[in-house]
Amino acid sequence: MPSYKLIYFDVRGLAEVSRFLFYLSSTPFQDYEVSDAEWLTLQGKTPYGKLPILEVDGKTLAQSFAIARYLAREFGFAGNSPFECALVDALGDQFKDYWGELFPYFATCAGIKEFGNSNILRREVGEPARDKFFTMLERVAKENGSNGHLVGDSLTWIDLTVADHITTLNNFSDGFVDDRFPAVLAVREKVMNDPRLTEYLAKRPKRYF
Amino acid sequence: FSAISQSTMPAYKLYYFSIRGLGEVPRQILALADVKFENVGITKEQWPEFKSKTPFGQMPVLEVDGKQIPQSFAIARYVASQHGLAGKTPFEAAWVDALADQYKDFNNDFKKFFYLVLGFGEGDLEAAKLEHGIPARDKFFPLVVKQLKSNGTGFLVGDSVTWVDVLYAEGSSRVAHEVPGFLDDYPEVLEHAKKIHAIPQIKKWIEARPV
Repeated sequence: MPSYKLIYFDVRGLAEVSRFLFYLSSTPFQDYEVSDAEWLTLQGKTPYGKLPILEVDGKTLAQSFAIARYLAREFGFAGNSPFECALVDALGDQFKDYWGELFPYFATCAGIKEFGNSNILRREVGEPARDKFFTMLERVAKENGSNGHLVGDSLTWIDLTVADHITTLNNFSDGFVDDRFPAVLAVREKVMNDPRLTEYLAKRPKRYF
Repeated sequence: FSAISQSTMPAYKLYYFSIRGLGEVPRQILALADVKFENVGITKEQWPEFKSKTPFGQMPVLEVDGKQIPQSFAIARYVASQHGLAGKTPFEAAWVDALADQYKDFNNDFKKFFYLVLGFGEGDLEAAKLEHGIPARDKFFPLVVKQLKSNGTGFLVGDSVTWVDVLYAEGSSRVAHEVPGFLDDYPEVLEHAKKIHAIPQIKKWIEARPV
């Protein structure tokens, strides 16, 4: 088995999906947290000056979704056919497009970069982005059979991405992902109640985002 | 219109507007893979009705046995992985994906200048060039040159062409064409585009393509 080292900041952010994948597959890994001080020297040594990065037997991978997809394929959470994998990927791409729209609201709430007043941003940026994206996700989840998954009949990395993202959105504003989206919330429930994640979810640090 | 690339029944249909845009990379991947496909151009008049039949209300979509895959990168990766064009190992495939995502990050900023160049949207072109075009270019292309040099094969990943080579070649050649001289500081990138566009199946597609 290769040795895995996941390198990221002390946040869930873009790496929590990958952490979930290690725990779901019971694969040992080093969950390495970089401090702000260490980042000053580490940044120049990363492929794109960003985290997360994943070291696999000492070889580096960058870009959170490339990492998540790589691990998902290795561990069986990428989709059950080439077509399903493509649908999972397409939802990941759609998430990224949504993320770009959401970013001013997200970054302000997270304290990463201030784009203005967070209440105004919630109304003018967060809510429209949420409504557009989650309405689409709700339709996808329903068309998939409201079976607790966005694609196919088993857990994929897009289920994990959406589930963790909802945690963050609701941290920023309680009930932000509301009961207009029952099939999507069911996807999240299934992730958060997966027995393979119980121990990690209980012991992981409480992180705002 | 629709252009059928082979005389027999296509397995795939690619739907997009009759422009290069986000449809060009999937088309080139299909051509590179020697896969029969129907290249369907949707007009502005046809779009509202077709839109409601797509998964995300967007194009391109690839129709495979009547089922649709949206999102140009998902389409490219789907076709590429089935035809040896997505990296030879899972690790290489992950690097192909990482480079594609890096391109996306670059383009999210760069397009604030480049869309104006192409005539989409409104704004001060010179201001956008200074604020978005030049900084995005100079943050991204040195990394591309570094990748090409450290990989050392003329391709971005591994020793053969992958879908991300096609993505980068289309992007860089388009920019160089629309903004003459803009990539002159990055000759390795222009050479890479020439190399990819000289691959016979891609060369043939470029010569014959409707737009």
